[in-house]
Amino acid sequence: MESDEALYVRVKQGDLRAFDELYARYEGPLFGFLLSQLGNRADAEDVFHESFLGALKTREVTFERGGGFRTWLYRIARNLTSNRLRSERRGVRAVARLPSGDHAPPAEEALVERELFRALDDAIARLSPALAEVYRLRCSGLSYEEIADVLETPLGTVKSRMNQMVSLLREEMRPWTAR
Amino acid sequence: MDCSVIQPDLFAYHFATLDEEARARVDEHLLGCQKCLRAYLGIKRHMELGVGLPGRPSEAARLRLREAVADAFRPSLGARLGRWLRRPIPLYQGLATAAVVLLLASITPLLLRRPSPSALPGGERVDTSRSHPASLAIY
Repeated sequence: MESDEALYVRVKQGDLRAFDELYARYEGPLFGFLLSQLGNRADAEDVFHESFLGALKTREVTFERGGGFRTWLYRIARNLTSNRLRSERRGVRAVARLPSGDHAPPAEEALVERELFRALDDAIARLSPALAEVYRLRCSGLSYEEIADVLETPLGTVKSRMNQMVSLLREEMRPWTAR
Repeated sequence: MDCSVIQPDLFAYHFATLDEEARARVDEHLLGCQKCLRAYLGIKRHMELGVGLPGRPSEAARLRLREAVADAFRPSLGARLGRWLRRPIPLYQGLATAAVVLLLASITPLLLRRPSPSALPGGERVDTSRSHPASLAIY
């Protein structure tokens, strides 16, 4: 499988098949991250468009190690998201929820599960912006090192935020998980 | 180990923030406990799907971006021509092209050769010595 960096070079040479391949790799995780940050599809699509185009149009970028394009793309997406949220003066991050009935275990178990996930979504919604961001990037599949790159913070800070976030979730979800 | 002890650790387990000993404890428990394994997989799926929501940009958005990329990185005419000339040609296509070229090369002299003005079919010759074109004698 060709690396993201190799596809990036081919796209800059006008190869649209390379673009299609690169797009297919990121449309799910990156769009999902943006949707969870911004709370609505229209904004998420706009920022997705600007992020992808911005990442490709930037003058020659040298990727020093594997995963370079991914962190570059997420960093741009994150900055654009922050700018948009700041300009729209949103105080609360909307946590988009799964449509109910998305998976179907037996009835009583389904009810308990639905309540658990609702409680989980509420707990995530109450996280501070910094912790929520780390949560969403981690759920998008980025490693700690990549998250540190995207956020331009030290790795230690990312790990510390992860620990903090996990502790908070653990406490919030204790009534649900200790049954 | 009791499920009520393991389940609160499932978030830390998912985000890989447990120490080695605790992780091994959860690993071992999940291998033998269907209830906790289902809970873990449900939490994992919910968190991952919750971020990667339904879940893709629209087709119109994809095409708009593709067009923008095509416009931004369209190669120059020279680069396109160079790429076309350098492209590998299949053997059958090469042979067919060579055959057409040879055929044209062989019949072109025939097509370009003009018949001699002093010869007619059947070996008769036209007297072109007279200047008046109407009084050509045939012998």
